[in-house]
Amino acid sequence: MLSYFEWLNNLPVSTAIRESVWMSPLVNVAHLAALVMFIGAVLIVDLKLVGNDEDTPVDAIARGAEPWLLVGFFLLFLTGVPQLISNALREYYSIFFWFKMVVMVVALIFTFTIRRRVTLAPEGQFSAGARKLVGALSILLWGSVAIPARLIGLFT
Amino acid sequence: MLELLMPLRSLFEWLDAFPSSIAIRESQYVYPGLLTSHVVALCWFGGLILMMDLRLLGVGNMQTPFSQLQRRLFPYQMVGMIFSAITGLALVYAQPMRFYVNIFFWVKMVMMALAGLNALAFHYLTYNSVSRWDRDPILPPAARLAGALGLALWVGVVVSGRLIAYNWFQ
Repeated sequence: MLSYFEWLNNLPVSTAIRESVWMSPLVNVAHLAALVMFIGAVLIVDLKLVGNDEDTPVDAIARGAEPWLLVGFFLLFLTGVPQLISNALREYYSIFFWFKMVVMVVALIFTFTIRRRVTLAPEGQFSAGARKLVGALSILLWGSVAIPARLIGLFT
Repeated sequence: MLELLMPLRSLFEWLDAFPSSIAIRESQYVYPGLLTSHVVALCWFGGLILMMDLRLLGVGNMQTPFSQLQRRLFPYQMVGMIFSAITGLALVYAQPMRFYVNIFFWVKMVMMALAGLNALAFHYLTYNSVSRWDRDPILPPAARLAGALGLALWVGVVVSGRLIAYNWFQ
């Protein structure tokens, strides 16, 4: 695994990003903006699941938010890869990076299986308690991705 | 530009000398903790503002009448704003002179003030007639303008806020 990260770290493109004055800042800024979009699209649905007030049905809200969820994640991926390869060794030795990656995989699977099924189901198919649990879990999981992500850069 | 801020210099210097300001600045964990909390709070706040602005612009969350979206999200937006403000103020309190000399910090403050004015104008003027356009796919120009301004200004706040980390112009 280490040799793979060393290889990533030494790619010409990684070196170019590291040595450029503006590329890392640009990628960092875009990653944060994408994160805001992604979290917004996650929360608008999760808060409805947790709050469970009576107006628009959950599936309508989830359908409205889904394109922004997908675009947000795509942009996060697109801006995450350059950060990973240009700091590959720093990431390799950061416990927060690995924690983030593991939780992210769990959060992704959860979001596109259980959460998707519950949010897109017609009203009444899942109990209020089950929906609250799914909403709370989703907030907890994605929060546990974002928090260690910020810590990677702070404790190296 | 910085001459305009001279009257504030003594205030920032005064804060800078507080023992508790120095303590946060020098602590190994409090400052990173505040920074991380600020990011979480701003994602919460900014994300929910963005979802509302997309609806105003007519490009997202179109399944929900605007007033329902507003009513449901507003309390959560306020929670996010309060946490962002508390953690943000604490960050400035911990390193006043770092922020005072950073142009991105002041750009962020100006954009935040403008975003606040935009929100107030929307809430007290445009929103009064919501019953007439609540379910329209294309909202009146004033509502779309508020959405566009909100989107541009809050993105500007996030971008300039993140750029404070780079002291290119000092």
